[in-house]
Amino acid sequence: MAGAQLLFLLFALATCASAVMVVVSQNVVRMAFWLIISLGSTSALYFLLHADFVGATQLLVYVGGTLVLLVFGVMLTASGPHVKIKMSPAEGFLAAGVGCLFLAMIFFTVIPVANDWDEVVIRLEAQNDVTDAGGGYNALGEGNTTRPLGLSFLGTRPDKDLNSTSGTLSTGYLLPFEIVSVHLLVVLIGAAYLARAKRRVDAEEA
Amino acid sequence: MEDLGKQLSTLLMVAWLLPFFGFCIEVFGGYFKWRLTKTAAYIAVGCIGVGFLCSVVAFMQWGNATDWVVFESHEGEHHVSADHDEAAKSHDEHGAKHDEHAKEHEHGEEHADEHGEKAEGAHDSHGGHAKPAVQTAFSGQIYHLARFGELDISIDYYIDSLTLGMFMMVTLIATCIHVFAIGYMSDELTESYEDHFVHTSDGGHFKRPGRFYRFFSYMSLFCFSMLGLVLAGNIFQVFVFWELVGICSFLLIGFYVERKSASTAANKAFIVNRVGDFGFIIGLMILWTSCGTFRFDNYEDHHGHEQPGLFQMVRGNDGHVTQDGDAVVLKDVHGEPLTDASGSTKTIPYMLLVAAGLGVFCGCVGKSAQFPLQTWLPDAMEGPTPVSALVHSATMVAAGVYLAGRFFPMFLPEVLLTIAYVGCVTLFVAATIAVVATDIKRVLAYSTISQLGYMMLGIGVGGWGAGLFHLITHAFFKSLMFLCSGSVIHGCHHEQEMPKMGGLWKKMPVTAFTMLVGVIAIAGLAIPGTSIAFSGYHSKDAIVATALQFVDDNPVHILLFIVPLVTAGITAFYMFRLWFYTFAGQPRDAHVYEGCHESPSVMCGPLLVLAPFAAWCAIGGEHGKLFSILALSEPASTEVVHASHDIHTAAGSFALVAAILGTLTAYLLYGKTIVDPANIKRQFSGLHTFLVEKWRFDELYDVMFVRPSHVVGKWCAGVDKYIFDEFLHGVVRTGIRVSQWDRKFDEGIIDGLVNLVGNVTFSIGRSLHVFQTGNIRQYVMFIAVGVLMLFALLFAFSFAILA
Amino acid sequence: MDELSGYLFVGAVLFVCGVICMTTKRNGIGVLMGVELVLNGANLNFVAFSRFSPLGLDGQVVALFVIVLAAAEAAVALAIALNFYNNHQTIDVDRGNELSG
Repeated sequence: MAGAQLLFLLFALATCASAVMVVVSQNVVRMAFWLIISLGSTSALYFLLHADFVGATQLLVYVGGTLVLLVFGVMLTASGPHVKIKMSPAEGFLAAGVGCLFLAMIFFTVIPVANDWDEVVIRLEAQNDVTDAGGGYNALGEGNTTRPLGLSFLGTRPDKDLNSTSGTLSTGYLLPFEIVSVHLLVVLIGAAYLARAKRRVDAEEA
Repeated sequence: MEDLGKQLSTLLMVAWLLPFFGFCIEVFGGYFKWRLTKTAAYIAVGCIGVGFLCSVVAFMQWGNATDWVVFESHEGEHHVSADHDEAAKSHDEHGAKHDEHAKEHEHGEEHADEHGEKAEGAHDSHGGHAKPAVQTAFSGQIYHLARFGELDISIDYYIDSLTLGMFMMVTLIATCIHVFAIGYMSDELTESYEDHFVHTSDGGHFKRPGRFYRFFSYMSLFCFSMLGLVLAGNIFQVFVFWELVGICSFLLIGFYVERKSASTAANKAFIVNRVGDFGFIIGLMILWTSCGTFRFDNYEDHHGHEQPGLFQMVRGNDGHVTQDGDAVVLKDVHGEPLTDASGSTKTIPYMLLVAAGLGVFCGCVGKSAQFPLQTWLPDAMEGPTPVSALVHSATMVAAGVYLAGRFFPMFLPEVLLTIAYVGCVTLFVAATIAVVATDIKRVLAYSTISQLGYMMLGIGVGGWGAGLFHLITHAFFKSLMFLCSGSVIHGCHHEQEMPKMGGLWKKMPVTAFTMLVGVIAIAGLAIPGTSIAFSGYHSKDAIVATALQFVDDNPVHILLFIVPLVTAGITAFYMFRLWFYTFAGQPRDAHVYEGCHESPSVMCGPLLVLAPFAAWCAIGGEHGKLFSILALSEPASTEVVHASHDIHTAAGSFALVAAILGTLTAYLLYGKTIVDPANIKRQFSGLHTFLVEKWRFDELYDVMFVRPSHVVGKWCAGVDKYIFDEFLHGVVRTGIRVSQWDRKFDEGIIDGLVNLVGNVTFSIGRSLHVFQTGNIRQYVMFIAVGVLMLFALLFAFSFAILA
Repeated sequence: MDELSGYLFVGAVLFVCGVICMTTKRNGIGVLMGVELVLNGANLNFVAFSRFSPLGLDGQVVALFVIVLAAAEAAVALAIALNFYNNHQTIDVDRGNELSG
């Protein structure tokens, strides 16, 4: 336990610190670097939460895909080495104040939720007819979530239905999965179109 | 016999409907296509010509199917009248017992009837008249239009020898006049017809497209209406076609509508006719409410029962009017008193039946231009001359006489006496005016009125056959004379004043000769001592004889004989005056004479066709074929009067003497000019002026009706202006004031509220627009702060609740 | 303070950092990075609740969807940013204030 806690503290600190660095740093490239650190640490937190598939996806998609995209954006829109886009100090202070208040508010909200969590778990177990949350097929803590996630995308839910005493089956995510995939396709086509059409007009104008 | 009725009705329907068919084609085809060709005329002539053929075929069929009973009965009648003569002689021999003529007459009739029975060996149930056993009259229904409660409205036919005779007469004359009109109207075949009687403001003449096709479509419509009137089997249908005929007359009189005189004359004709039709409608209403049917003849109702027609109701089987106190008992098909559903006898008050008769006669007065509604007919001469010939002499104006004859059984003695006196006054008044008229067409118009008066007089004194006999003969010679006058007018380039003519017989021999035939016919000349005479002699002789017989029976009404006798002389005088004035003597106006020419053959042809008919259609007189055809339809009425033979002879002699005197006077004055007519005119200048002003009827009506209506109109206008208008203005002013207040309320309060809402919204938007900076980062900041504030509120509330 | 609240605090920090990043960065790409941070903060909460609640893998599934949609959003946003750059010759979002009232 101590090892896990140590790891958690380490990655949590890395995540928070690099997020703050993203905010603070003025250079876009540095921001991108700190963002990689932050997102990578987050994926480590996912592993700590036994969500190995989500963690892997985070590494692949975010760190490997999205951030590369962002860096491309940075390079394509770079105005030149001497052009600095800076905010005013007043804005910085205002933002810092609002941020602190916001953070305080969220902390203030999170604390009672975390305190009452055991009761919430008991109530949810009663509602969802889950009697043996610790045993069975997907004993929490095993950390092997790939297969159950895949099955849930196919519409079956062994993680919920295997030890259920009631005769009902839970719903899966087949349809949202399909919708998301089509959505992705549409978005990519749209993005390609957006990024391309304007340039051609410009070329004609030029 | 049912088959015969069907055949006859089909043939006559064809003759009746063909002109309507023609009208439809002509009026559209003419408008779109045949403005400059004679196609419309050929169609019109074709339609009416085929109609004439159908009528003749119908007549032949009718005659064959009835074994020409009409002429047999004539022979029988002849035989009867021979016997009648003997009987009369024997009565004269034994005259001591029978001094009174009337009684002797009655007796003679009885004898005649007895002999008739023996001679024919057949005597049907129709009582007092020698009617044959064979059915000769047919009635039935062509088309059922509607039934309103008890009121049945249908198109019926009633065909007897009178109908057939009228059909043949109308279609023959109409065919001739149509052919004549092809020539007469030919100058309308142009795109710019110059009307010399209409002057424009710039001193020129009015020009318009020709209306050749329109003339012929109107004529076709007129023929359709007239034939429908003759064929009609109920009085309502008669009324409908009566009005259609009136409309056609209106259209044709106003044919040259741009001429003020023509349009005024058309209006006058129509309005004067309305006065008569008002009485007609009253008569119709009385008949409908009392008798419950419009049909002439018996008919089958929708239950299949045979119901009595009007004639049967009033006259029954024996021609007598049965009186019950002050009421007339209506009779059923068997001649028994008619009972209604509750079993009580149906009657009609005597005076009401008189009123109905007078009402219907009112219509006849209007249509036939009788006194006091005669003023429209001379003005109607504004129409083209063929119209005058067809509509205003031969057929339409004769429709009144025809109706009086057709409706004869419904007329009670009082009504007949009225008819006789109206006819008497008319014939005299019109004849005197004709003496001084100088317009060739107006002379003929007044002679038409006068002759119509003769017919009315004939019918009024009970000479049913005589009146209708004169109707037919007059139609022939008057249409002939009108066409001749049309030929003269056409030849003289629309010159109608006789004082400018003279000596025209050299230039237009055919017209002069045919005109002379017509003049002799209407004057009633004959070779004394023989019955060789033109048609007018026979028919006028019949009327005068009947009048004398009537006066003989009722000496009080001596005027009814004297006046027609004197007028017979006047008639001869003014007709020969017309002829001498126009055709004989020396030319009075060289210009007119030089330009004058004989009309083309298309116009002379009809004259030559009509002339023999005018001369000889009545050959044989009251023993001739024409009269016996008509007499066959003589209604079963006790009011019918037959002149005895010696009275006939006497009346004929008197009339002939009067006619010869008139002719001689005319010859001496206008042919030989032994006395200058101008001197006579000067001598009697007062009388002359009075006559030229047409007995001042127009002035009289102006004072009696037109001025009073103006006064009443002014009063009404005053009431309208000062009372109704003021009231309405007050209402309107109040309305305006209310609306002004309403407007203030609207603008001040309603609009104010709405504007307030709008203004407030607008100002809020104005003040908020500073937050819309377009800066994305600021928006995100707003969101963050907004979320913070929302949560702050949430916490504050939850704390407040917990507390 | 148990394990769950630790994750929630980390998520909260990520979220607030993202929001501040969106409000302060005038560079369009910087704003996009702020959006990514916000999404990650939320994702972390989902996975944490999925781990500590008896509701099975629902939270992880949603987190996966969010990741995918974030990738899509990044692609579109990048296209928009490129267009913006083409139109304004800069990536400064403060210059894009045509909609100001």
